[in-house]
Amino acid sequence: MLITCPYCGPRDVIEFTYQGDGNRKRPQPASQDLDAWNAYVYDRLNPAGDHNEIWQHSGGCRAHLRVVRNTLTHEILSTAFARGGHKTESRS
Amino acid sequence: MAEHQLPERQSPLEPEYHPGSHGNFEHGVDVILSETRPGSILQLAAWPGEEKRLIEAIRKVTGLGLPDGAGGGVSNGVRAAFGFAPGKFTVVDEAEGLAAAFAGAITPAIGTLTDLSHGRTPIRIAGPKAEWVMAKFFAIDFALPAFPLGAGRSTNHHDIFAQIQRSGADQFDIYVFRSFARSFWKALCHASEEVGYEVH
Amino acid sequence: MSPRRAETGGRIDRLRTIRFTFDGAPYTGHAGDTLASALLANGVTLFGRSFKYHRPRGLLSAGVEEPNALVTVLRGEVREPNIAATMVEIYDGLVALSQNRTPSLAWDIGAINQLGGKILSAGFYYKTFMGPAIGPLKGTRFWMLCEHFIRRAAGLGKAGTAPDPARYERMNAFCDVLVVGSGPAGLMAAKAAADQGARVILADLEAHFGGSANWSSETIDGMPATDWAQRTVAQLEGNDNVRLLPRTTVWGYYDGNTLAALERVTDHKEAAAKGEPRQRYWAIRAGTVVFATGSFERPLVFPGNDRPGVMLAHAAERYVNEYGVLPGQRVALFTNNDSAYRSAVALKKAGAAVVAIIDVRSDVSNEMRRLASEAEAELFAGHAVVATEGGKALTGLKVQRFDMMGGALGGDARSIHADCLLMSGGWSPTIHLASQAGAKAEWDPARQAFLPPQPRQRWIGAGAFTGSFSTAEAIAQGRAAGLRAAGGTASSAPLPAVEAAPGDPDPAPVFEIKAEGKSFVDFQHDVTAEDVRLAHREGFVSVEHLKRYTTLGMATDQGKNSNVPGLAIMAEALGKPIPEVGTTRFRPPYTAVSIGSLAAERFGDLKPERLTPMHDWHIANGATMCSAGLWYRPMIYGLAGETVEQAYVREAKATRESAGIVDVSTLGKIAVQGPDAAEFLDRVYTNMFSTLAVGKARYGLMLREDGLAFDDGTTWRLGEQDFLMTTTTANAGKVMQHLEYFLDVIWPELKLTVTSVTDEWAGAAIGGPNARAILASCVTGTAVDNATLPFMGIVHGQIAGVPVMICRLSFSGEMAFEVYSRAGYGTRVWEALIEVGKPFGLVTYGLEALGTMRIEKGHVTGAEIDGRTTARDLHLDWMLSKKKPFIGSAMMDREGLIAPGRLQLVGLISLDNRPFNGGAHIVEDLDEANPHGSIGHITACCYSPALGKYIALALVEGGNARHGTRAFVSDPLRNRFGPIEIVSNHFYDPDGSRMHG
Repeated sequence: MLITCPYCGPRDVIEFTYQGDGNRKRPQPASQDLDAWNAYVYDRLNPAGDHNEIWQHSGGCRAHLRVVRNTLTHEILSTAFARGGHKTESRS
Repeated sequence: MAEHQLPERQSPLEPEYHPGSHGNFEHGVDVILSETRPGSILQLAAWPGEEKRLIEAIRKVTGLGLPDGAGGGVSNGVRAAFGFAPGKFTVVDEAEGLAAAFAGAITPAIGTLTDLSHGRTPIRIAGPKAEWVMAKFFAIDFALPAFPLGAGRSTNHHDIFAQIQRSGADQFDIYVFRSFARSFWKALCHASEEVGYEVH
Repeated sequence: MSPRRAETGGRIDRLRTIRFTFDGAPYTGHAGDTLASALLANGVTLFGRSFKYHRPRGLLSAGVEEPNALVTVLRGEVREPNIAATMVEIYDGLVALSQNRTPSLAWDIGAINQLGGKILSAGFYYKTFMGPAIGPLKGTRFWMLCEHFIRRAAGLGKAGTAPDPARYERMNAFCDVLVVGSGPAGLMAAKAAADQGARVILADLEAHFGGSANWSSETIDGMPATDWAQRTVAQLEGNDNVRLLPRTTVWGYYDGNTLAALERVTDHKEAAAKGEPRQRYWAIRAGTVVFATGSFERPLVFPGNDRPGVMLAHAAERYVNEYGVLPGQRVALFTNNDSAYRSAVALKKAGAAVVAIIDVRSDVSNEMRRLASEAEAELFAGHAVVATEGGKALTGLKVQRFDMMGGALGGDARSIHADCLLMSGGWSPTIHLASQAGAKAEWDPARQAFLPPQPRQRWIGAGAFTGSFSTAEAIAQGRAAGLRAAGGTASSAPLPAVEAAPGDPDPAPVFEIKAEGKSFVDFQHDVTAEDVRLAHREGFVSVEHLKRYTTLGMATDQGKNSNVPGLAIMAEALGKPIPEVGTTRFRPPYTAVSIGSLAAERFGDLKPERLTPMHDWHIANGATMCSAGLWYRPMIYGLAGETVEQAYVREAKATRESAGIVDVSTLGKIAVQGPDAAEFLDRVYTNMFSTLAVGKARYGLMLREDGLAFDDGTTWRLGEQDFLMTTTTANAGKVMQHLEYFLDVIWPELKLTVTSVTDEWAGAAIGGPNARAILASCVTGTAVDNATLPFMGIVHGQIAGVPVMICRLSFSGEMAFEVYSRAGYGTRVWEALIEVGKPFGLVTYGLEALGTMRIEKGHVTGAEIDGRTTARDLHLDWMLSKKKPFIGSAMMDREGLIAPGRLQLVGLISLDNRPFNGGAHIVEDLDEANPHGSIGHITACCYSPALGKYIALALVEGGNARHGTRAFVSDPLRNRFGPIEIVSNHFYDPDGSRMHG
């Protein structure tokens, strides 16, 4: 599997670390809403198909990326810096 | 600061650093390996949107004009600079004291400066088979069009993180963490045996 | 010259004689020979014994698909089994052995299995292991006895046990166009792409490029095809943008157009050059792949089709034209298609007598009849071979009239005397890699073959791979594919002209001749047509089940010969057309791949070593090193004759009595810099850092998002916007990733950078009553007295001319300091401290003494912060700020995390004066016979010189309430049981008077 890092270009998946479901929403830091915290910490989407994921290019520039990946085909549909900015569409 | 009075630094490679020809060298050596031992290695990081000002600061202090774009870099044999991550650059000088030279140039409004002069060990591989030997370690494309002169790349070899700058048509400078340097050096020598190598 | 070798012809170098042995007997061959061709030239017909029945077997093929002639190659003590003799290039001193025979190939006692064929039918593994219902050997016991013999009898070569001294390497390659296969299609594709300026890799599993051109008797561009191929290769060699990889099998096709290939670099050489790897694993990332992988000729299934001397037709053509070896003097051919006729002509030209061509088709074209007469062969149209004769070599065969429509045999059997029978059951495109790439193959009823699927990745097919079996088509498709792959436009330039024998590419739909006797489908796994039908009778309808039940196609050749005939027989049994039965998807690897090549450079030490700046000093000064993650750290500095315990007790004692020094360079160090650094630290640590003064350090605790403890360490404020965070050695990488995640994903608005500076700094922790005096006598540029350097204070000075940062903090519980210098000066500072410390009784100490002193102090490490404990469990709740939210603050007070019965950190004292073991359980009531009732476990233990007792830290249920009570250690694995007292984890100097001084 190759992931196209917006900074480094296409790299082997071995250079990346999966950093979890990209759909999670962190509650406000001071929030006492335990249900919201519970959902954030424990609930994960597990779709058969396109999935929003966070990957870190840990063996490269170390940026965190928002990656849309098809969990059935491993096709990477798009990658973008998690901080915002440049986005790379990969679907051919 | 009286940097010139500082004692000599210890190389992490020392017991494994054997100048001379090694490996399959009877028909000539195809790569030359060396530790470049620059005086200064800095990491400069710009806040988002401040990259241009940082690049300008690098130009002012070192005279190096960085090209635009991810991984862009330049090397003049004495000083070198390259991007290795979004907004982040490695700047190297043969002389010590580059951090002090940058101290006034990288203001908190632009970004940060981190002195890694001892923490990163630059190892140079040069010669007609440099690309060949590098391809044994790193899954990146070393061909000149894909990896232009002066450019930088961040990658890793198993657990060893590496920043690589192309400092010549057939020359690469590999910046590895000091603690891993000896292990990487041994692996590099081993992989170079096939083509014959010389340690300078 | 050997009996079967022609005087001229082929690609071998008759002037170079090569000596080798096979089963101990000496043979000679020529440069360019494979083991198969050289042995065949020497008149060897018997190459191996079959897997199950131990039937004698000879060469079926001349290439990678060979199922029978598997050998073991010896290199010194290292044996590599199950190598196809057709793929072994001979070299002087080659030692090869046949397999699966006892005691010898010619006299094999296992051959008796042939008589027991009924028992050993398909699925016998599953059935026969049901033993008799009564008696001493009832149930499976009888079969367990038999298993030993069955296992010995079945199988292939034996793996060796000697370590393999060969070198293996991995290579990463990038190209615009990867061409797999170097026949006319592949060569044209590579040439066309290279001429466009594309970066091209051309890989072929054979030693010589050219593919079928090397043996086809055709001409291309007015010259023998093999000359044309060599000319094209020479043109490619001159291109800087072309990499030629002979002896390289592309064996896997993965996501992102990444392909795996194995190059056999030195297997054909007597010895590797210095540093040369035996094999190289290529990871190739290709823009576009051109598959010019050709096709496999299929065997026909008929009784006795496995007898030595029965061979694929094209293989014989190859032996004749490529190696100058005649596989027989009197040759018969049996075919369902036209391609065998050109083989007949080739053999005739090489000097063999072609005694018969048996064609299942009654309707044979005039062109083929002309070729038959050119070969001076008697043509048996509408006939089939129904039996073969002979023992270890073929002596003859029987033919009968055959009706293609119903498969019925008729008329009298006629005997034909022949020492070689060539068969052709049509051709199957080599679509394995395309199949790996994801899509399903499509059955073509005209070609009677599975054709490649529609590409899902970026690949293009050319030549026989696509089911276009003529060389003219291969050349046209190859050029078109190469141009397209390189992004060029189609060319109307003339193509090289091809002169080839005529022939219809479509075979008759005949795969099997049903007659009395064993007809083999899978030669290597001894699966017969009857086995396939048996599987059907027993209810197996899915092709996947058929495969597993009969083991059809599951041998080392992965069904390269048997796949389609097996399916055809299954389809007939099911009464369904072949496409409805389907085919199995091919998986990597295409051919066997050595484990060595997959491990590549990860030999010996599997991980790199991480060394501190003072590493060599430790080694030179008697340290016993131990690994801590990737790091190497001194465990003890033992004196002569000391045990580990004696050494660490001495080191810890001396530290508490005078002073000790330890290398702490491995601690994770992260520079946290920027205007928002303090704010960030407030969020990631449970306690406040924004209030920390410049020049001071503070102990910090981090939680995970779920509220459990994560890591601890001190963070030093070096400037208003400049912090130096330290982490535990083990968690340095995890903490870094944790910080980067929050910076990138959660709080991108914060202005700060985090940088690993672990390797920038050498750290030495010096502690003990004399520590300050030692520093005072070597540090210049600053005082180190209590006023200048209070607890958790930081000063800057010099030692031995080297700038240092000194922070007064203590892990040992003594008055202690951490001295940081830039890594390149680490040893210089360390040596200066040792030298100055000598008169003060300074000792070096290692991890064992470090651990001992931290246990005495009750400090926690990764053994206690184990991903299950909370700050409260570890008595660190005093660090949980109530003034601000922090990572984990919302979740840390959940009901289960504050429950009273949780495991809590306590100290243990051994009441029987015997040592503890890590991981031992704690129980309230001792029951050695039936250990149970664990209330917790030991996380760390040692002999405490300060207390004169064996002590431990433990996590115990409701531990806080148990201080002063007794319990027992229960450690059945190590047979250690005994009484203990539960106490506070702060064994030693609980009020900290020693470190505060």
